[in-house]
Amino acid sequence: MALTTAPDPTRRGPGSDRAHAERRGPGRFRHSEGLAGYVFLSPWLIGLMGVTAIPMLLSLYLSFTNYDILTPFSEVEWVGLANYERMFTADPSYWHAVRVTLTFALIAVPLKLAAALGVALLLNRAWRGVGLFRGLFYLPSLLGGSVALAIVWVNMFNRDGAFNSLLSLFGITGKPWVNDPDWALETLMVLAIWQFGAPMVIFLAGLKQVPTELYEAASVDGAGRFRQFRNVTLPMLSPVIFFNLVLETINGFQGFTAAFVLSNGTGGPVDSTLMYTLNLYITGFTDLNMGYASAMAWVFLLAIAVITAIFFSTGRFWVHYSDGEDR
Amino acid sequence: MHPATPPTTDAPVGRAHRTPLPRRRLLRGLLAVTVAAPLMFGAAACGDDDGGGAADPNAPVKLSIFWWGGDARAKLTEDALALYTKKHPNVTFEKTWQANQGYFDKLATLTAGGNPPDLFQIDDNYLAEYAARNTTLDLTSYQKSGKLDTSKFPESLWQYGVVDGKLAGLAAGENTQGLVYNKTLLTKHNLPEPTTGMSWEEHIAWAEQVTAKTKVPGTQDPSADYKAFWVWLRQQGKDLYKGKELGFTAEDVTKWFDLWKGARDRKATPTADVIHEGNSSDITKQLVVTGKSATSWVWANQMPDLKKNTKDELGVIAYPGDPSAQWARASMYWSVFKGSKNKDVAVDVINFLNNDQEAVKLLGTDRGLPSNQDLRRVVSDDTTDPAMKQSIAVEAELTQKFGKSPQVPIKGHSKVRSELIKAAENAQYGRATTAEAATQFIEACKSAIA
Repeated sequence: MALTTAPDPTRRGPGSDRAHAERRGPGRFRHSEGLAGYVFLSPWLIGLMGVTAIPMLLSLYLSFTNYDILTPFSEVEWVGLANYERMFTADPSYWHAVRVTLTFALIAVPLKLAAALGVALLLNRAWRGVGLFRGLFYLPSLLGGSVALAIVWVNMFNRDGAFNSLLSLFGITGKPWVNDPDWALETLMVLAIWQFGAPMVIFLAGLKQVPTELYEAASVDGAGRFRQFRNVTLPMLSPVIFFNLVLETINGFQGFTAAFVLSNGTGGPVDSTLMYTLNLYITGFTDLNMGYASAMAWVFLLAIAVITAIFFSTGRFWVHYSDGEDR
Repeated sequence: MHPATPPTTDAPVGRAHRTPLPRRRLLRGLLAVTVAAPLMFGAAACGDDDGGGAADPNAPVKLSIFWWGGDARAKLTEDALALYTKKHPNVTFEKTWQANQGYFDKLATLTAGGNPPDLFQIDDNYLAEYAARNTTLDLTSYQKSGKLDTSKFPESLWQYGVVDGKLAGLAAGENTQGLVYNKTLLTKHNLPEPTTGMSWEEHIAWAEQVTAKTKVPGTQDPSADYKAFWVWLRQQGKDLYKGKELGFTAEDVTKWFDLWKGARDRKATPTADVIHEGNSSDITKQLVVTGKSATSWVWANQMPDLKKNTKDELGVIAYPGDPSAQWARASMYWSVFKGSKNKDVAVDVINFLNNDQEAVKLLGTDRGLPSNQDLRRVVSDDTTDPAMKQSIAVEAELTQKFGKSPQVPIKGHSKVRSELIKAAENAQYGRATTAEAATQFIEACKSAIA
């Protein structure tokens, strides 16, 4: 076994080894400490290499091939930029998926953040039972991207679902939301927005950090509630807003589970919920065009990197870090 | 806790001095393991590649087998496999099964991971995909040597497993298109039952009448359903595929979409969103069992499954039009993975599941009518399930009328199916004219089968 590569203990007694260690002194000690660090890191490191880094690099290679899952690697053909060319010039459903994803992210993310900030402001006061409400509002995001939640959502928002029963109490005839190509994506947006708990908790933590003196000073200067919010709360909160914005945008682009469940993995009705990642999945696993799907994944990665970079570069103009003065 | 801990700054150094050896040994050991483990697994994985049929017939064999289906199928299949193990104690099975949705994703992933099952269930939607990529074992030599006995099969049935001259899969059963209707509903409203041989126009007129009287839409609009489209095409002297090309034109598709647009305008069908529900749902939620339509377009062998989900009496007939457009279709196949280490045993198991009387009786008509016609008779005589009896009866009746089998759908077929759903729904929701939807469908098909 592999363990036998450890040094044979009979060859050197414990005494000699101690002398050995002492002679080497602190240098040798630091060295072994570093090694130990790597050893303790190894479960994560192996995971990173095996599950993330190596497959990622492999997918970069595959994106230049016609790999179709079933063909062994050895017979895969190099096709150069053909997959990328097809994506940008000859695949209308790719651009459709891009549009669906952008629509989803552009609407759902700002609304989700606004909901999170609004509720956080309400829950930032010292009410009785405010803790309970914080818990309740956080609950939906604990359920996260779960399949069960998506199934519940589908059943709530179909023609005879709970939501339409509720509407009928007010004499409104609802739509078959999830089965209507004009509303299916909106239904998914509502689901995403409803899960505003995670950014809300971060906003709450951020709000607690705003020094009360600033509000006192502002009110002495005669600032009303709204001006206090605009000139004190928002700037002081801007790093947290920035953090949430970046995170939620990335999350928004990657929405998959709900769309998959709602459409039975097809992106339907009529491709209305064909999110980028769902399209990628269908291309890779259902249509067996894994090489092309890998190319899509890489373009997606670059697009998210570019968007994040844009956020960071514009951040200088509106994100206000007060660290320097405070500490 | 220790009451007196040594000063923190000295502690690690002291310990390092006290126990250098065990620690180093531990570190080296760990390192060796972490480096060696993947190498060892890798080596083991490589070792799997070669090796065909083993020499010793009594050496223990563990055969992996993968199928889709519900609990009932799992029970029947497990019983039949247990019977095989009883007769061949050296063969045991590693059984995996799951619902149809996601089955082919999983099968593809297993294949890609170099860990495909020795024996797997597959249908005509994917057979050509797998065969074209040399994933399935060509069973021709086994068939010729008699190790795979198809002498009792209808000729056209086993031939429906031939792709590019290779027998890529053996029919696990036979089925054909079946139009299932809600008998109880019709009787309650004194409406006539539909019959085999009605024209499409007559069917739509009948459905219109059902909607008017019962308030339940008469028929699920099947314009998104490739198997209904296929039957209709064959009645027009066309086909889904001709060689590596499409067997139809945009005009055919437009005509087909128009036929159903007319039906929708006459309220013979449900609204678009309900049709969509039927298009995207599995068998348990077909509109005929959820009560949202009086008929559903399914496969005849799915009757028992449908019956399990409704209290109403169901009936089954052929699709409208001339029934000779239908054929004895392999409902699904058993295929052997080409790189399997246990090819011979896997083939023997397929032979057993198709030709052993006890096994076939156990399996019943769950995967379709038994392929072996002698045993098909035995099973029909034995069966007590009324729904199964119905599906046997309709197929027995149609057997005399069946036309020639079409070729197995070609590589890209699964994409063609999903594109048909997309195009048909575009027309149903009124987002495109029938002609636009047809053109869009043809374009998408061309790139799918290219």
